[in-house]
Amino acid sequence: MRFVVCVKHALDESELKIDAGGKPQLEGAPAKMGTFDKNAVEEALRLRTALGGEVVAMTVGRAEARKSLKEALAMGADRGVHVVTEPRVLDPSRTSELLAAAIARTGPYDVIICSEGSSDTYTGLVPPMVAERLGYPYVGYARKLEVTAQVVKAERSLEESLESVESPLPTVVSVVSEINEPRYPTLIQIMQASKKPVEEFQVDQLAITGSTPPTVILSMTSQSSNRKRVLIEGTPDEAAQKLLGALEKEGVLSS
Amino acid sequence: MNKAIWSFSENATVAAEIASAATALASAMQGEAVIIDVGSLREVSGATKKLLLKGLAQTDASPEVSAEAIFRAAKQLEPAVILVGATRNGREVASRLAVKMRTGCLAEAFRLSVEDQSLVAERSAYAGKVVARVSCPLPCVSTVRSGSYSKVEVEPNEVKEFEVGEIPVRIRMLRFSKKEAGAVDLKSAKVIVSAGRGVKRKEDLAMLGDLAREMKGALGCSRPLSSDLGWLPEEHHIGLTGVIVKPDLYLALGISGQLQHVAGMKDSKVVAAINTDKDAPIFQAADYGIVGDLYQMVPALHRALAARR
Repeated sequence: MRFVVCVKHALDESELKIDAGGKPQLEGAPAKMGTFDKNAVEEALRLRTALGGEVVAMTVGRAEARKSLKEALAMGADRGVHVVTEPRVLDPSRTSELLAAAIARTGPYDVIICSEGSSDTYTGLVPPMVAERLGYPYVGYARKLEVTAQVVKAERSLEESLESVESPLPTVVSVVSEINEPRYPTLIQIMQASKKPVEEFQVDQLAITGSTPPTVILSMTSQSSNRKRVLIEGTPDEAAQKLLGALEKEGVLSS
Repeated sequence: MNKAIWSFSENATVAAEIASAATALASAMQGEAVIIDVGSLREVSGATKKLLLKGLAQTDASPEVSAEAIFRAAKQLEPAVILVGATRNGREVASRLAVKMRTGCLAEAFRLSVEDQSLVAERSAYAGKVVARVSCPLPCVSTVRSGSYSKVEVEPNEVKEFEVGEIPVRIRMLRFSKKEAGAVDLKSAKVIVSAGRGVKRKEDLAMLGDLAREMKGALGCSRPLSSDLGWLPEEHHIGLTGVIVKPDLYLALGISGQLQHVAGMKDSKVVAAINTDKDAPIFQAADYGIVGDLYQMVPALHRALAARR
C-alpha cells in the first residue's frame, strides 16, 4: 500500500511579529510544520504499520520547507517529495494544482492523507481541491480510519453529526487532530532523516496548465484587540465580588 | 456571466445566513441573490429567489454530488459569485466547484464586497492575529464563515427548478448519528464558562459545570481537555479547529490563552480570565483578569453569586 502525506511548512503564528504600522512581518518570520499536519503524518505511519508499504511525505513551498519534510522523515516517512516554489503565501488553487501534479508524477498511491487545514491560513480547501483535480473521492475530517485492500472506512466528525462512510481507493482523506497523538522523533531518527531520499521538482517540471485565476492578497493588518485588560486584585472573595460587579455593569450577567 | 449571487449550505440554519450575505452583496452590486437548494432545505430564508436542483435523492446529497449538481447549473446559468457556508462539508463543495469551474476560491470570509470585477473577502489568518483582504476575479467561489452576517428576514417567493441529471455516488454512507447538543448550546449560549489545563482532575469539571449552570451558561474547554485528555467531548472544544463562539460573557478558567484558542472566542462581548500565571497570554485577550487559583476563585464566585440573590 502506498501513502502520501501532505505537509505544509507553515508560518509559526505565535512567533509572528506585527510592526509599528500594524503590518505583520511575514518575511523572515519563523515557520514550522503545520500543527495539525503532524496528526496526518502519524496516521500515515500507523496505517503503514498495519498494512505495510511506503509513506511518502510531500510538500509545496520554498527551499526552507525542506525542514518540515525532514521532520516528517524523522517521524518515520520513507522518502520525501518537494515541489519548490517562490512566493511566501500560495493560493489554495495553486497549491492543490502543484500537489496533484506531483502526486500524479510520483504515484500511483492508494491513500493521500492531509490534515484538516494548515495552522497558519486554515482555509481547508487544499485537500478537497487535490481530490477534485485527481478525480478522486474525498473523505474529510476523519477521526477514525481503517484501510483495507479495496476501501477506506472512516468516521467523519462534522459540526453536528458523526458519519461512518466507505470510499473506494484511491482516495484523499483529511484527519482531525483528535485522531491520534503524534510521535516525537528520537535523536537517532532525526539524524537518519537526512539520509532519506528527497525528490525535488521545480514548478516548470510539472505540467501545470496555470488556468486558474489565483486570488490576490490586497492587504494584511493586525487584528486589533480592544480589550480593557483590567486587573482585579484582592482576596478571592473580594476579587469575585469586584468581578461580578464589573460584569453586571457591562450588562453581561444573565439574571 | 450575469449578476446573480448564489448561496449554498447543506445546513438550513447556515443556509439562511449565507443567503443573507448574498442578499447584502447583491444589493451592493445591483444583482440578485439566489438560494441554491439540492433538496436538503425544507424551509430557508435570507433571499427572495430560490433555485431547486432536481433529480437528486436526498440521501445522495454528499458534498461531492452537491458540487457536481451546482456546477451543472452554474455552467448553464453563469452566476457571478457562489457563496458556500464554511462548514466541514461546505469547504469540499466550494473546493470542488472552484476546480470544476476553473475559477479561484476565497475562504472563510466574514465580510464581502465587489470591487473592479473582483470579489473581495476579509478573513482572519494566523490564528486571528491578522485580517487579510483577498480578492479574486469574477466569476468565483468563496466560503463564508457562519455567524458573520445577520439574518435577512425574507423568504423565497420565486422558486425555479433545474434538472441536474444522473450523478454517480462514490462515497457510501454506512452510519449517521447526531452529536450531543454541546456544540449547538455553545453557539447560542449568552455566557460560557471555559475550562483549561489549570483544571487538575476530570472530577473537578463538575465544579465548573455548576458555575456555568448558576450563571445560566454553558461549559466549554480548550483543546487539551477534549483532545489530549479526553475529559470532555470534542463538541465542547472552543478554538480555531473547534467551535467558534461569541457569547456576551466568556469566562476563561485556567486557560493559558494560546492563539488557537483565542481565535475561537475573540469575538465575545466581554472576556474575563482567571489564571495563576500573571504572564499568561489570556490576560492580553481579556477585559477583566484575576491572577489567582481557580480552585479558590470558583468557590468564591459561587459565594458572591449566592450573596447577590
